Parts: sequence; structure tokens; C-alpha cells
Amino acid sequence: MILDFLEILNDYPAVLLLIILSIATLGGGIPPILERRRRRILENAISEVLELLSDNIGAGEGIQQALARVAEVRNDLFGKLINDAMQASKATSFEAAMAEMAVKSRSKQVQRVINLILTSLEGDAPMQDVLFEMSQEYSRLNKLMNKRDTELQSSAFLIIFFVGLMLPAIIAFMIGIFAPKSSGMVVSDLNTIMAYFFGGATGISVLISGRMLGRMMNWFWFVPSLALFSMLIYILGFEMIS
Amino acid sequence: MREQEESKDLLYAIRALEIMMSSGIGLEAAILSIAGGGYGIISEDFQKMIKQQKKGKKLEVALRELMKKSSSKGYGKLLTTMYNNVKSNTDVLKTLSMQAAAEEEERNEKMQKYIDDLGGLPESLLSIGMISPILLGLIGLAPQLMGDAGAIMGTLPSNSTMMNIVRIGLGITLIGMAFIGLKAHTKDPGV
Repeated sequence: MILDFLEILNDYPAVLLLIILSIATLGGGIPPILERRRRRILENAISEVLELLSDNIGAGEGIQQALARVAEVRNDLFGKLINDAMQASKATSFEAAMAEMAVKSRSKQVQRVINLILTSLEGDAPMQDVLFEMSQEYSRLNKLMNKRDTELQSSAFLIIFFVGLMLPAIIAFMIGIFAPKSSGMVVSDLNTIMAYFFGGATGISVLISGRMLGRMMNWFWFVPSLALFSMLIYILGFEMIS
Repeated sequence: MREQEESKDLLYAIRALEIMMSSGIGLEAAILSIAGGGYGIISEDFQKMIKQQKKGKKLEVALRELMKKSSSKGYGKLLTTMYNNVKSNTDVLKTLSMQAAAEEEERNEKMQKYIDDLGGLPESLLSIGMISPILLGLIGLAPQLMGDAGAIMGTLPSNSTMMNIVRIGLGITLIGMAFIGLKAHTKDPGV
């Protein structure tokens, strides 16, 4: 069975190369997904954290006290980061601890918020209003980002499903029916061309889908594995039908 | 491309300027803070402006030069507001607040348009991706399927010629698919 499978793939050197590439890149594709998930958890919490801070400051607390209160209330990653920053501020300065927190968050949004908080503090600004305004703004922004994700995710997966799975299956069926192996027709050249076409088409589809969701580079890692999957569907589909 | 880059971070830069200036920070210090990074091409532009200032150029002259360089309407408006503030000490806060609101509305509209535009993308890709290999597959099989029909059909081109047609056709299909997908990149609202 395995030997038969390898015998079939022997005619497609690019497939053999893609098997190796797929194994290597599948591993590389997982960290960006985890990192993005972590970042989005933090970013979706920004609005709530800022609103809480604004309320606490409005109640007469200082910024450090308000932050400590937020860390107590929140059991999520944001709460942990604030808690760590508060601990660090005992050994260093508040500004340094906040700057470290910004770096640790690895999120552009969190870094911007912290930068603005520190700048406003330096300028002795009305923090309650500043924080409340920022919370509203980041709430709207994150809603918009989530909207893009939810509304375009189905289209993105549909593209990959259609081009990477349905299309090679249908064409393999068609060619397998019209020119089965038993008929004696020589279709090896056509099969090679078609298999490479499906690999390329799937690669393009994955990149388009990734771009639609604003994370093409993350999806780039999955191009070899999905292209391989598509090529195998065509090659094995043809073998099965004919 | 530059227009897209400018629009991407413009709203955040305006909001940051608004917050800083409402907290009593001066325009030059606010520019310095934005130049510190985090606002993409706007930070880079402001960095260059600060460098020019250090060499002795006046802020209003540097701002006017940047206004000429800017590509997006919103960025141009922001620079004009800053320029007017430097020149005539105008009320920059109210203007910044209005600009941010307008920019936010525009961003929401762009986002909705992007979602609407890309709604038909799977169907377009599938149409070209399906019709082309079906037709070209039949062309590739033609010399063998109709090899004996020479008397009726006339002489068919050789198998290798047909394979070359299939190769070129599928190559063009791939390019076509990439072009269809290009609008996912060019119309990105930068959210």
C-alpha cells in the first residue's frame, strides 16, 4: 500500500519536495497563530481595563493604585501583566515598569495606550477623561477588527475549500472518467500539469485568504501543506476513479 | 502605496496628538512623541521633520514640505492644522477632534466596502479556477479522445502541442486568479 503510494508519487518530484517542506513549515505556522491569539486577548481587554482605570481614578485613586485595583479584579493575561508591572515598579520606577509591560505585551495597541498614559501623566492631564475617551476609541476599533474577522473568515475558508479541495476532486473525477488508465490513453503529462496547477492555485488561494483577514504572512506557512494536500487529492483521486 | 500607509495609522496619530495637546503638551513635544515610533510612516515623517529642525529649518517650513509630500487627504488636513497652529496659534484641539471623528467614519465606511467587495471573491475565483481546467483538460485529452476522428474533424495538433496549450492556459489562469485576489490587498482598509 505504502509502496504503491510512493510509486505513484515517484512521477511527481515536486510532491516529494513539498512533503518535506510541509512538515517543516507546519511547525512554523503554529507560533504565529498562538501569538496572535494572545495579542488579540490583550487588545480586546484594553477597553475594559481603561474604563476600569477611569472609574477608579474618578473615585479619587492615583494611577498606581487604580492599576493595582485593576490587577486584583482581572484574572486574565492583562491582569497578570499589570500585576507584574506593579511588582516591578517597587524595585524600579513606575515609568520603567510600565515601559517594560508595554514591551512584554508585544501588542502595538497596548504600547500606544501605555505611551499615551505616560505622556498624559507627565503633562498632568485630566486622566479620567483621557482614559475614558481612549477606552471608547479602542472599543470601537476592536469591534471593527473583530467584524472583519467574523465576516471575512467564512469567505476565506470557502476559497480554500473550493479551490484546494473541491476543484482537484472534480477535475480528477472528470479526467478519470474520460481517460481511465485501463483505456490505454497516455495522460501522465496532463496529470502532471494539472497537479502542479492545483498546487499553485491552492497556494494563491491561501495567500488571498490570509490577505483578506490581514494576516498573509502567518498563512504563508501553510502554503506548502495545503498545496500538497490539493495535489494529493488530484493525484490519488485520479488513481481511484480510473 | 504611500496613501495606504498614511491612512493606516493616521487616526491613532490624530487621537494621540489630541490627547497630548489636551493635557497641556505643546505641539513640538507632541510631534517628538509621535516621532518616537508606533505610528508607521507618520512617525518616520515626523522623525525626518525633527532632524530638519535640528539642522536649523523652521517647523512651519518643514511642515509645509511634508504637506507637499503627503498623499492622503486626511494626512494633508492634519498637517495643515498643525501648520496653522504654528503660524497663527489656532485652536488645534477642536479641529483635531473633528478630524478624528471624520477619519473614524471614513475608516468604518472603507471597512464595510471592503467586506462587501470581497463577498463575491470566492465565486469569482472558483469560476475562473473551474472553467479553465475543465476546458483545458478536454483540450489536453482531445488528441487521444478524437484521434480516430481525423476524417471528420481534420488533422488535430500533436499531443505535445496540446500539452503546451494546456500549460500556457493554466499559467494564464493562475495569473488571472492572482489578479482577482489582488483587490484583497489593494483595497485593504488597514484595520
